Amino acid sequence: MIYDIILTTLINGSTWALLAIGFSLIFGVARIVNIAHTAFYMVAAYCIFYGTYRLGVHPGLAVLMAIVLVMVLGLICYKLFIEPIREHEAAVLIATIALALVFQELVLLIFTGDFRTVPALIAGYLEISGVKIAYQQLLTIAAAGVILAGVWTFLAKTRLGLAIRATAQDREVANLMGMNEARVAMLTLVISVALAALTGAVVLPLSVLNPHMWMGPLIMMMAVVVLGGLGSMKGSFVGAYLLALSEALVVFLIPKGAFLRESVALSIMILVLLLRPEGLFGVAFEEER
Amino acid sequence: MGLLGFYLRKLVTIFKGEIFVLPSRIVVFVFVVVLLLFPVLIDDPYLLRILTLASIFAIFAASWDLLSGFTGQMNFGHALFFGVSCYTAALLNLHFHIPPWGTIPLGALAAVLAGLIIGIPCLRLRGTYLALTTLAFPIILMGIVFALPDLTGGELGLSGLERLAKSRVAAFYINVILMIALVATMWKITDSKTGIIFHAIREDEVAVRASGINTTRYKLLAFCLSGFFAGISGGLYAHYMRIAGPSTLEVSMSFQVVIWSVFGGIVTIWGPVGAVFILFPLLEFFRFWPEGRLLMFAFVILLILLYMPGGLLHWIRDKIESECPRCKIRNIATRKTCRICSAEMH
Amino acid sequence: MKKPVILMTVLMAFLLVMAIGSPVLGADTIKIGVIGPMNFLQGKGHWNGALMAQDEINAAGGVQVGDKKMKIELVKADSNEFLSMTDATNAMELLLTREKVNYVVGGFRTEAVLAMQDIAMDYKTIFLGCGAATKEICDRVGQDYDRYKYWFRITPFNNLFLAKTSFIHLATVGGIMRKAVGIEKPRVAIVGEKQAWVEAMVAASETNIPKLGLEVAGVWRPSQTATDVTAELSAIQRADAHIIFTIFSATVGVTFAKQIGELKIPVAQVGINVEAQKDGFMEATGGMGNYVMTMNTYARGVEYNELTKPFVEGYIKRFGEVPTYTADTHAAILMLAESIKRAGSLDGDKIVPVLEKWDEKGTTGQFKFDQNHDPVWGPGYLTSLGVQWQEGKLVGVWPNKWKAAPEAPEITYKGIVPYKLPPWFIEKYKK
Repeated sequence: MIYDIILTTLINGSTWALLAIGFSLIFGVARIVNIAHTAFYMVAAYCIFYGTYRLGVHPGLAVLMAIVLVMVLGLICYKLFIEPIREHEAAVLIATIALALVFQELVLLIFTGDFRTVPALIAGYLEISGVKIAYQQLLTIAAAGVILAGVWTFLAKTRLGLAIRATAQDREVANLMGMNEARVAMLTLVISVALAALTGAVVLPLSVLNPHMWMGPLIMMMAVVVLGGLGSMKGSFVGAYLLALSEALVVFLIPKGAFLRESVALSIMILVLLLRPEGLFGVAFEEER
Repeated sequence: MGLLGFYLRKLVTIFKGEIFVLPSRIVVFVFVVVLLLFPVLIDDPYLLRILTLASIFAIFAASWDLLSGFTGQMNFGHALFFGVSCYTAALLNLHFHIPPWGTIPLGALAAVLAGLIIGIPCLRLRGTYLALTTLAFPIILMGIVFALPDLTGGELGLSGLERLAKSRVAAFYINVILMIALVATMWKITDSKTGIIFHAIREDEVAVRASGINTTRYKLLAFCLSGFFAGISGGLYAHYMRIAGPSTLEVSMSFQVVIWSVFGGIVTIWGPVGAVFILFPLLEFFRFWPEGRLLMFAFVILLILLYMPGGLLHWIRDKIESECPRCKIRNIATRKTCRICSAEMH
Repeated sequence: MKKPVILMTVLMAFLLVMAIGSPVLGADTIKIGVIGPMNFLQGKGHWNGALMAQDEINAAGGVQVGDKKMKIELVKADSNEFLSMTDATNAMELLLTREKVNYVVGGFRTEAVLAMQDIAMDYKTIFLGCGAATKEICDRVGQDYDRYKYWFRITPFNNLFLAKTSFIHLATVGGIMRKAVGIEKPRVAIVGEKQAWVEAMVAASETNIPKLGLEVAGVWRPSQTATDVTAELSAIQRADAHIIFTIFSATVGVTFAKQIGELKIPVAQVGINVEAQKDGFMEATGGMGNYVMTMNTYARGVEYNELTKPFVEGYIKRFGEVPTYTADTHAAILMLAESIKRAGSLDGDKIVPVLEKWDEKGTTGQFKFDQNHDPVWGPGYLTSLGVQWQEGKLVGVWPNKWKAAPEAPEITYKGIVPYKLPPWFIEKYKK
């Protein structure tokens, strides 16, 4: 039982950590709540599906194509729809919701509402103490770990990472310090969207594709981000695994109540917020006057 | 006869002085008149249904604006109030056989209670945290609804509720008149001292607190008032559709109301109302291309937001009216001098 | 001064006029509204089945109404019931008022059908349901006959019978298991998505399964949109289950089958898995969905009677896939046409008694209504099929020499093939 809980926590937690960090990045730097984040993840997933099945290319190549495509898409959407109205936060929010809807409908039109899957990159499984674990699941965890480590190194060690962290802390001062705030925001968006695409690639073979697949992860991702504290990478990371653990516990200890896992996770988030209104590691933002 | 003449002349004066001077007020007046006369002019139950539902959602959207627009507490879980009152009204009607004019206020009160319950934890939260937390509440409630299918009917919901009124037209009038009355009430609230405090809380809460006003109380009041009005719309919905289901608690319902309000213009009350009456029929109108309905709808929103990020109705109003630089009273844009203080307008 | 006002009024008037449009002048045709979630498989089934019926009838000259023949005209209405309840009710209202249809067929999601049914009854229009199985919908006929008599359910039979049939499937598989590998009391894991229609079935399973000579290993209730069921599967493996009794109607059905196939978990899946009824199931599971057994109405090669094959083959030829049960709008419209002929009029009040006495062969068997306008189940009437995915193809495996009761006749439909246990299961358990 413990293995199952750990395994499930690792898989789900990694997925959400990847998504949450991308979301947190763009929020911290540009103060954009990107509701379409998981929609980008969905678009990437469908691109990979299309590449692998309809075009017949190798899955790895399809992943690369998807990432590039999604990055370009994100850039275009940002330039066209978000940047002109950046000062109106409420409008930006609605615009991202509308974008997500557009993506959903386009996918529905092109691929219809039927469910699709993508084959596992590594087929087969291994057996540990009577329970079968697919290689793909292990691959997912490993990939997620590598990507997270990569993001961490990027943010901590490179100059651009430093710029991103600085802008996230205080936009105006970063501007004063000579960092082109608008360009940093744009680059962050591209990275954030690329992360969403990577998540799609990594998690894809385990899940089922359909045009509404962006809504479920959206809620959990936002819960993770809020729990961990907006703008904090460490918070998103920890929050992701915490909520994944709570979900795994619910499913395993209360099998009849497995459907309640989302509610339980959200309740935990609310409880934590009651005690610490900025989230676990959040930074209390100064009200910008 | 003389008395009647006196009142008639007074009415004409009020009309001439207050209503016919500003295009926005004329629009509101025409709108109300058209709505009230609609069933008399056109006999089409389908259009009647659309307008009835639009009225219900207009109350819902306006109540969101009261909370999130005016006090700045972004509520992403407004569907909670809607769903709570929907289910309460349904349960009261099915099990205790209370008629609609009783279940709807009681449902609204239940929504107020819900407002208190979520308002208190949200007091300490700011901005995006608040928004995302409020998003969670309807989802949790939905989980509970599914966990107690004997009580709530699970995904089937509760059906077989009483009607609001015997005929479609009567139901239409009840909804429309209620909408006008409630929206007017909300408008009055925002124009009163309480409303000004709400607005101030949005702009600068610290300053308000420094002025000695108990912002906690006012924030909770905002939650409760908003919950009450949203609750009424929920109860009306339950009795009009005659079914109360989990669709009333969905995330999409919460998002819809935010979309309507921002599209129409927040921090007004008429913005969301106008937006509902534009967008809801528009969505129906898009039926000519069923697959692309939602796509076109989302595109329309994106485009409008691109050019009018403050809200469509705000933009329209700014085009047809302008403010006098001296006395700050609104005038129609084509005037050269202010109608009150005769200052140069430009 | 009033320019902007005029503009606004003109704009509003324009919108109103556009919305009203021009009423369609009905020719001498019978208008039948087909309402369903048209963007999804179920709605497409509704529409396709109706199309086939329309063509069949119009090719023969139309419906005999009294002494003249009238052709059928179909009106499509997208209820979008999966996503929006208000859309469904608006669509129904549109059909009945703007389009002025004579009859309506279709409907799928129970929550929506309950609301749509009310509207149809308001207008005293015959509504033939082709999708929602909840008994409650037909119970209303018994509770308030004068209002609800215009409602008849055509397909599927109600959820009580659905449960009964799936238990029979379960028992059959258990029996095969006993014979094949000698397990005396196979253990059953009950897995049902969290939905109200599943509640009753889960409760019934827990009481009935021991009576079938099987043992309950546990109950799991994943969310219907679950895309990862690793947790549930691990737990089920640990519980040493031999059979998984599935009660799925949504995405989770695909996820489950896929993960079981990928991990080659030694279990037999049987029960209700609506996703597995679709032709696209194999692709959706990435080829891993073999050996899944579920209830279904039609299958390639299986014939209930001589009417089945022409319909199924005609459907496959025209639309490229096997009809799902929602395509029984075909049967509904044919039934309606014949009833109009027998009643001699289009009047709903005259047609209702004709339908109530209906006892005829249909494409799925002998069709008869009970007093609540619900189709009758049983040997000699409707039984539906048990189908299984074998080598990438969906074949019929039940009823195969099935006896409902010791003195009942033995039933095997033409085209049924034997059920197969997954080879890795036999490998593990064969002594």
